[in-house]
Amino acid sequence: MLLAKLALGFCGTVAVAGAYTFHEGIMRVEEDHYDGRHVHVWVPAAIVPMALHFVPSRHLERALEHAGPWLPTLRALTKELKKYPEAELVEVEDANQHVRIRAHQGKLLIDVTEPGETVHVACPLVMIEDLARELEARSPAA
Amino acid sequence: MNVLAPQLTEKMALTLAASLLAAAVLLAPVAAAQAPNASGSSQNISASSHDRWLHVRVTKPGNSEETVRVNVPLELAEKVLPTINRNRLHSGKVRFDDVDCHGVDLHALVDAVRSSKDGEFVTVQSKDSDVRVAKQNGYLFVHVFEKNRPKKSQVEVKVPMKVVDALFSAGKDELDLVAALHALSSQGDTELVSVKDEENTVRVWLDSKNVTDSLPSHP
Repeated sequence: MLLAKLALGFCGTVAVAGAYTFHEGIMRVEEDHYDGRHVHVWVPAAIVPMALHFVPSRHLERALEHAGPWLPTLRALTKELKKYPEAELVEVEDANQHVRIRAHQGKLLIDVTEPGETVHVACPLVMIEDLARELEARSPAA
Repeated sequence: MNVLAPQLTEKMALTLAASLLAAAVLLAPVAAAQAPNASGSSQNISASSHDRWLHVRVTKPGNSEETVRVNVPLELAEKVLPTINRNRLHSGKVRFDDVDCHGVDLHALVDAVRSSKDGEFVTVQSKDSDVRVAKQNGYLFVHVFEKNRPKKSQVEVKVPMKVVDALFSAGKDELDLVAALHALSSQGDTELVSVKDEENTVRVWLDSKNVTDSLPSHP
Protein backbone atom coordinates (compact mmCIF):
# COMPACT_ATOMS: atom_id res chain seq x y z
CA MET A 1 0.00 0.00 0.00
CA LEU A 2 2.84 2.32 0.93
CA LEU A 3 4.60 1.43 -2.31
CA ALA A 4 1.50 2.29 -4.28
CA LYS A 5 1.23 5.66 -2.55
CA LEU A 6 4.89 6.37 -3.21
CA ALA A 7 4.53 5.34 -6.86
CA LEU A 8 1.43 7.49 -7.23
CA GLY A 9 3.16 10.46 -5.61
CA PHE A 10 6.27 10.05 -7.74
CA CYS A 11 4.39 9.54 -10.97
CA GLY A 12 2.07 12.42 -10.19
CA THR A 13 5.03 14.70 -9.62
CA VAL A 14 6.70 13.52 -12.80
CA ALA A 15 3.46 13.95 -14.71
CA VAL A 16 2.96 17.51 -13.46
CA ALA A 17 6.60 18.36 -14.10
CA GLY A 18 6.38 16.80 -17.57
CA ALA A 19 3.19 18.63 -18.39
CA TYR A 20 4.72 21.94 -17.23
CA THR A 21 7.95 21.32 -19.12
CA PHE A 22 6.17 20.64 -22.38
CA HIS A 23 3.24 23.05 -22.02
CA GLU A 24 4.91 25.59 -24.31
CA GLY A 25 5.87 23.01 -26.91
CA ILE A 26 9.30 22.13 -28.22
CA MET A 27 11.99 24.19 -29.85
CA ARG A 28 13.48 22.19 -32.67
CA VAL A 29 16.70 22.79 -34.61
CA GLU A 30 17.61 20.33 -37.34
CA GLU A 31 20.65 20.67 -39.55
CA ASP A 32 21.31 18.06 -42.20
CA HIS A 33 24.43 18.00 -44.34
CA TYR A 34 24.50 15.83 -47.42
CA ASP A 35 27.88 14.43 -46.32
CA GLY A 36 25.99 12.61 -43.60
CA ARG A 37 26.39 14.98 -40.67
CA HIS A 38 23.20 15.69 -38.80
CA VAL A 39 22.54 17.96 -35.87
CA HIS A 40 19.12 17.57 -34.31
CA VAL A 41 18.30 19.47 -31.12
CA TRP A 42 14.94 19.26 -29.43
CA VAL A 43 14.47 21.40 -26.32
CA PRO A 44 11.32 21.96 -24.28
CA ALA A 45 10.45 25.60 -24.91
CA ALA A 46 9.70 26.32 -21.24
CA ILE A 47 13.29 25.52 -20.31
CA VAL A 48 14.90 28.12 -22.59
CA PRO A 49 13.92 31.28 -20.64
CA MET A 50 14.83 29.46 -17.41
CA ALA A 51 18.26 28.60 -18.81
CA LEU A 52 18.96 32.33 -19.08
CA HIS A 53 19.49 32.42 -15.33
CA PHE A 54 22.56 30.25 -15.78
CA VAL A 55 24.19 32.45 -18.41
CA PRO A 56 27.07 34.45 -16.89
CA SER A 57 25.94 38.05 -16.50
CA ARG A 58 28.97 39.49 -18.36
CA HIS A 59 28.01 37.55 -21.48
CA LEU A 60 24.37 38.53 -21.12
CA GLU A 61 25.20 42.21 -20.64
CA ARG A 62 27.26 42.26 -23.82
CA ALA A 63 24.44 40.61 -25.75
CA LEU A 64 21.88 42.98 -24.27
CA GLU A 65 23.87 46.01 -25.37
CA HIS A 66 23.16 45.03 -28.96
CA ALA A 67 19.82 43.29 -28.64
CA GLY A 68 18.30 45.54 -25.94
CA PRO A 69 16.71 48.16 -28.21
CA TRP A 70 15.08 45.44 -30.29
CA LEU A 71 13.54 43.43 -27.45
CA PRO A 72 10.27 45.42 -27.27
CA THR A 73 9.98 44.95 -31.04
CA LEU A 74 10.60 41.22 -30.73
CA ARG A 75 8.02 40.94 -27.96
CA ALA A 76 5.41 42.92 -29.92
CA LEU A 77 6.16 40.93 -33.06
CA THR A 78 5.70 37.54 -31.41
CA LYS A 79 2.61 38.71 -29.55
CA GLU A 80 1.03 39.83 -32.83
CA LEU A 81 2.20 36.81 -34.80
CA LYS A 82 0.27 34.55 -32.42
CA LYS A 83 -2.89 35.96 -34.01
CA TYR A 84 -1.92 34.43 -37.34
CA PRO A 85 -1.88 30.62 -37.14
CA GLU A 86 -0.83 30.33 -40.78
CA ALA A 87 1.26 33.03 -42.42
CA GLU A 88 3.95 32.96 -45.06
CA LEU A 89 6.06 35.92 -43.98
CA VAL A 90 9.20 35.82 -46.08
CA GLU A 91 10.28 33.64 -48.95
CA VAL A 92 13.53 34.04 -50.86
CA GLU A 93 14.21 31.76 -53.76
CA ASP A 94 16.86 31.47 -56.42
CA ALA A 95 18.30 28.65 -58.47
CA ASN A 96 20.21 27.20 -55.51
CA GLN A 97 18.72 28.48 -52.31
CA HIS A 98 15.31 28.56 -50.76
CA VAL A 99 14.59 30.38 -47.51
CA ARG A 100 11.18 30.43 -45.89
CA ILE A 101 10.08 32.17 -42.71
CA ARG A 102 6.52 31.48 -41.66
CA ALA A 103 4.19 31.20 -38.73
CA HIS A 104 2.49 27.86 -38.30
CA GLN A 105 0.23 26.91 -35.39
CA GLY A 106 1.92 29.12 -32.82
CA LYS A 107 5.44 28.45 -34.03
CA LEU A 108 7.90 30.44 -36.06
CA LEU A 109 9.40 28.17 -38.68
CA ILE A 110 12.60 28.95 -40.55
CA ASP A 111 13.58 26.62 -43.38
CA VAL A 112 16.77 27.01 -45.38
CA THR A 113 17.56 24.69 -48.25
CA GLU A 114 20.74 24.96 -50.26
CA PRO A 115 22.97 22.52 -52.07
CA GLY A 116 24.54 20.25 -49.50
CA GLU A 117 22.68 21.53 -46.49
CA THR A 118 19.22 21.99 -45.04
CA VAL A 119 18.36 23.78 -41.83
CA HIS A 120 14.96 23.72 -40.14
CA VAL A 121 14.22 25.72 -37.02
CA ALA A 122 10.90 25.69 -35.19
CA CYS A 123 10.46 28.06 -32.23
CA PRO A 124 7.21 28.35 -30.29
CA LEU A 125 6.18 32.02 -30.36
CA VAL A 126 5.35 31.84 -26.66
CA MET A 127 8.96 30.93 -25.99
CA ILE A 128 10.31 33.87 -27.99
CA GLU A 129 7.92 36.21 -26.20
CA ASP A 130 8.96 34.84 -22.79
CA LEU A 131 12.59 35.07 -23.76
CA ALA A 132 12.23 38.69 -24.87
CA ARG A 133 10.37 39.55 -21.66
CA GLU A 134 13.03 37.84 -19.54
CA LEU A 135 15.85 39.60 -21.37
CA GLU A 136 14.07 42.95 -21.08
CA ALA A 137 13.76 42.43 -17.35
CA ARG A 138 17.48 41.76 -17.13
CA SER A 139 18.59 44.60 -19.39
CA PRO A 140 20.31 47.54 -17.61
CA ALA A 141 17.61 49.96 -18.80
CA ALA A 142 14.89 47.97 -17.00
CA MET B 1 -9.90 -11.09 0.69
CA ASN B 2 -7.98 -9.01 3.17
CA VAL B 3 -4.71 -10.05 1.52
CA LEU B 4 -5.92 -9.50 -2.05
CA ALA B 5 -7.45 -6.06 -1.51
CA PRO B 6 -4.19 -4.16 -0.85
CA GLN B 7 -2.53 -5.88 -3.85
CA LEU B 8 -5.43 -4.95 -6.09
CA THR B 9 -5.38 -1.38 -4.81
CA GLU B 10 -1.62 -1.23 -5.36
CA LYS B 11 -1.97 -2.49 -8.95
CA MET B 12 -4.78 -0.07 -9.65
CA ALA B 13 -2.80 2.82 -8.20
CA LEU B 14 0.24 1.89 -10.25
CA THR B 15 -1.82 1.54 -13.42
CA LEU B 16 -3.49 4.88 -12.75
CA ALA B 17 -0.17 6.59 -12.08
CA ALA B 18 1.44 5.09 -15.18
CA SER B 19 -1.55 6.13 -17.29
CA LEU B 20 -1.41 9.64 -15.90
CA LEU B 21 2.29 9.87 -16.63
CA ALA B 22 1.93 8.53 -20.15
CA ALA B 23 -1.02 10.79 -20.85
CA ALA B 24 0.76 13.86 -19.51
CA VAL B 25 3.95 13.24 -21.45
CA LEU B 26 2.19 12.31 -24.67
CA LEU B 27 -0.54 14.89 -24.60
CA ALA B 28 1.29 17.93 -23.27
CA PRO B 29 3.08 18.79 -26.55
CA VAL B 30 -0.10 18.06 -28.50
CA ALA B 31 -2.06 20.31 -26.16
CA ALA B 32 0.57 22.99 -26.47
CA ALA B 33 0.41 22.75 -30.24
CA GLN B 34 -3.36 22.77 -30.27
CA ALA B 35 -3.82 25.63 -27.80
CA PRO B 36 -2.66 28.46 -30.05
CA ASN B 37 -4.45 26.85 -32.95
CA ALA B 38 -7.69 26.68 -31.05
CA SER B 39 -7.43 30.25 -29.88
CA GLY B 40 -6.18 31.29 -33.24
CA SER B 41 -9.02 29.69 -35.18
CA SER B 42 -11.49 32.34 -34.09
CA GLN B 43 -8.87 34.97 -34.78
CA ASN B 44 -8.27 33.40 -38.16
CA ILE B 45 -11.91 33.85 -39.01
CA SER B 46 -11.69 37.49 -38.04
CA ALA B 47 -8.36 37.68 -39.85
CA SER B 48 -9.89 36.43 -43.06
CA SER B 49 -12.70 38.95 -42.91
CA HIS B 50 -10.90 42.00 -41.55
CA ASP B 51 -7.16 41.62 -41.92
CA ARG B 52 -5.33 43.32 -44.67
CA TRP B 53 -1.98 42.09 -45.89
CA LEU B 54 0.76 44.12 -47.45
CA HIS B 55 2.70 42.11 -50.01
CA VAL B 56 6.06 42.86 -51.54
CA ARG B 57 7.46 40.85 -54.42
CA VAL B 58 10.87 41.42 -55.96
CA THR B 59 11.72 39.39 -59.03
CA LYS B 60 15.05 39.33 -60.77
CA PRO B 61 14.75 37.36 -63.98
CA GLY B 62 17.79 35.71 -65.46
CA ASN B 63 19.70 32.48 -65.40
CA SER B 64 19.19 32.06 -61.67
CA GLU B 65 15.85 33.73 -61.28
CA GLU B 66 15.61 35.28 -57.84
CA THR B 67 12.36 35.99 -56.12
CA VAL B 68 11.74 37.63 -52.77
CA ARG B 69 8.26 37.56 -51.32
CA VAL B 70 7.29 39.36 -48.13
CA ASN B 71 3.80 39.27 -46.66
CA VAL B 72 3.01 41.46 -43.66
CA PRO B 73 -0.35 41.82 -41.91
CA LEU B 74 -1.09 45.56 -41.67
CA GLU B 75 -2.34 45.18 -38.10
CA LEU B 76 0.95 43.57 -37.12
CA ALA B 77 2.90 46.36 -38.77
CA GLU B 78 0.74 48.92 -36.95
CA LYS B 79 1.54 47.35 -33.59
CA VAL B 80 5.21 46.63 -34.18
CA LEU B 81 6.29 49.85 -35.87
CA PRO B 82 5.82 52.08 -32.76
CA THR B 83 8.21 49.83 -30.82
CA ILE B 84 11.10 50.66 -33.16
CA ASN B 85 12.99 53.72 -32.02
CA ARG B 86 16.03 53.95 -34.17
CA ASN B 87 17.59 56.75 -36.19
CA ARG B 88 14.77 58.84 -37.62
CA LEU B 89 12.01 56.41 -36.75
CA HIS B 90 10.32 57.10 -33.43
CA SER B 91 6.91 55.95 -32.16
CA GLY B 92 5.74 55.03 -35.63
CA LYS B 93 6.74 58.39 -37.12
CA VAL B 94 9.68 59.18 -39.31
CA ARG B 95 11.40 62.57 -39.21
CA PHE B 96 12.60 64.30 -42.32
CA ASP B 97 14.20 67.65 -42.97
CA ASP B 98 14.61 70.15 -45.79
CA VAL B 99 17.68 68.35 -47.06
CA ASP B 100 15.63 65.22 -47.74
CA CYS B 101 13.10 67.20 -49.73
CA HIS B 102 15.56 69.41 -51.61
CA GLY B 103 13.86 72.47 -50.19
CA VAL B 104 10.35 71.43 -51.25
CA ASP B 105 7.64 72.09 -48.67
CA LEU B 106 5.91 68.74 -48.74
CA HIS B 107 2.97 69.83 -46.59
CA ALA B 108 2.24 72.74 -48.93
CA LEU B 109 2.54 70.38 -51.89
CA VAL B 110 0.10 67.91 -50.38
CA ASP B 111 -2.31 70.73 -49.52
CA ALA B 112 -2.13 71.89 -53.11
CA VAL B 113 -2.77 68.38 -54.39
CA ARG B 114 -5.65 67.88 -51.98
CA SER B 115 -7.41 71.07 -53.00
CA SER B 116 -6.93 70.61 -56.72
CA LYS B 117 -9.42 68.97 -59.04
CA ASP B 118 -9.06 65.48 -60.44
CA GLY B 119 -6.80 65.13 -63.43
CA GLU B 120 -3.26 65.52 -64.45
CA PHE B 121 -1.64 68.50 -62.77
CA VAL B 122 2.10 67.97 -62.77
CA THR B 123 4.04 66.67 -65.72
CA VAL B 124 7.76 67.10 -66.01
CA GLN B 125 9.38 65.89 -69.19
CA SER B 126 13.10 66.01 -69.64
CA LYS B 127 15.83 64.25 -71.54
CA ASP B 128 16.39 61.86 -68.66
CA SER B 129 12.96 61.24 -67.27
CA ASP B 130 9.25 61.88 -67.39
CA VAL B 131 7.46 62.52 -64.11
CA ARG B 132 3.72 62.65 -63.93
CA VAL B 133 1.74 63.29 -60.76
CA ALA B 134 -2.02 63.15 -60.82
CA LYS B 135 -4.99 62.85 -58.51
CA GLN B 136 -7.91 60.79 -59.67
CA ASN B 137 -10.87 59.15 -57.93
CA GLY B 138 -9.35 59.70 -54.48
CA TYR B 139 -5.96 58.29 -55.45
CA LEU B 140 -2.62 60.00 -55.90
CA PHE B 141 -0.73 58.66 -58.91
CA VAL B 142 2.98 59.16 -59.42
CA HIS B 143 4.54 57.88 -62.60
CA VAL B 144 8.28 58.15 -63.20
CA PHE B 145 9.85 56.91 -66.40
CA GLU B 146 13.62 57.16 -66.62
CA LYS B 147 14.70 57.12 -70.23
CA ASN B 148 18.42 57.60 -70.42
CA ARG B 149 19.69 55.39 -67.68
CA PRO B 150 21.76 52.42 -68.74
CA LYS B 151 18.82 50.37 -67.59
CA LYS B 152 15.49 51.98 -68.28
CA SER B 153 13.16 52.02 -65.32
CA GLN B 154 9.55 52.73 -64.74
CA VAL B 155 8.05 53.55 -61.36
CA GLU B 156 4.34 53.71 -60.72
CA VAL B 157 2.89 54.63 -57.35
CA LYS B 158 -0.80 54.66 -56.54
CA VAL B 159 -1.72 55.80 -53.04
CA PRO B 160 -5.20 56.57 -51.71
CA MET B 161 -5.48 60.27 -50.75
CA LYS B 162 -6.75 59.19 -47.31
CA VAL B 163 -3.43 57.46 -46.78
CA VAL B 164 -1.49 60.50 -47.97
CA ASP B 165 -3.49 62.70 -45.57
CA ALA B 166 -2.81 60.28 -42.71
CA LEU B 167 0.86 60.18 -43.61
CA PHE B 168 1.16 63.95 -43.30
CA SER B 169 -1.06 64.23 -40.22
CA ALA B 170 1.79 64.08 -37.70
CA GLY B 171 3.36 67.50 -37.96
CA LYS B 172 5.61 69.69 -40.00
CA ASP B 173 8.70 67.52 -40.22
CA GLU B 174 7.25 64.09 -39.64
CA LEU B 175 5.47 61.36 -41.51
CA ASP B 176 3.03 59.29 -39.47
CA LEU B 177 3.58 55.77 -40.77
CA VAL B 178 1.23 54.12 -38.29
CA ALA B 179 -1.63 56.45 -39.21
CA ALA B 180 -0.93 55.75 -42.88
CA LEU B 181 -1.01 51.99 -42.27
CA HIS B 182 -4.26 52.37 -40.35
CA ALA B 183 -5.78 54.35 -43.24
CA LEU B 184 -4.47 51.75 -45.68
CA SER B 185 -6.22 48.96 -43.77
CA SER B 186 -9.62 50.37 -44.73
CA GLN B 187 -8.80 50.23 -48.44
CA GLY B 188 -9.80 47.50 -50.86
CA ASP B 189 -7.41 45.31 -52.81
CA THR B 190 -5.04 47.55 -54.69
CA GLU B 191 -1.59 47.71 -56.18
CA LEU B 192 0.43 50.45 -54.53
CA VAL B 193 3.86 50.44 -56.10
CA SER B 194 5.26 48.95 -59.24
CA VAL B 195 8.88 49.35 -60.28
CA LYS B 196 10.22 47.79 -63.45
CA ASP B 197 13.66 47.98 -64.91
CA GLU B 198 15.75 45.63 -66.97
CA GLU B 199 17.06 43.83 -63.89
CA ASN B 200 14.25 43.83 -61.34
CA THR B 201 10.54 43.99 -60.97
CA VAL B 202 9.19 45.21 -57.66
CA ARG B 203 5.55 45.17 -56.72
CA VAL B 204 3.84 46.24 -53.52
CA TRP B 205 0.15 45.57 -53.13
CA LEU B 206 -2.60 45.17 -50.60
CA ASP B 207 -5.20 42.42 -50.24
CA SER B 208 -6.72 40.07 -47.69
CA LYS B 209 -4.73 36.94 -48.57
CA ASN B 210 -1.96 35.68 -46.33
CA VAL B 211 0.07 34.26 -49.20
CA THR B 212 1.65 35.71 -52.32
CA ASP B 213 -0.22 33.66 -54.85
CA SER B 214 -1.47 36.38 -57.15
CA LEU B 215 -1.25 40.05 -57.91
CA PRO B 216 -4.22 42.33 -58.32
CA SER B 217 -4.89 43.46 -61.82
CA HIS B 218 -2.71 46.33 -62.88
CA PRO B 219 -4.43 49.72 -62.55
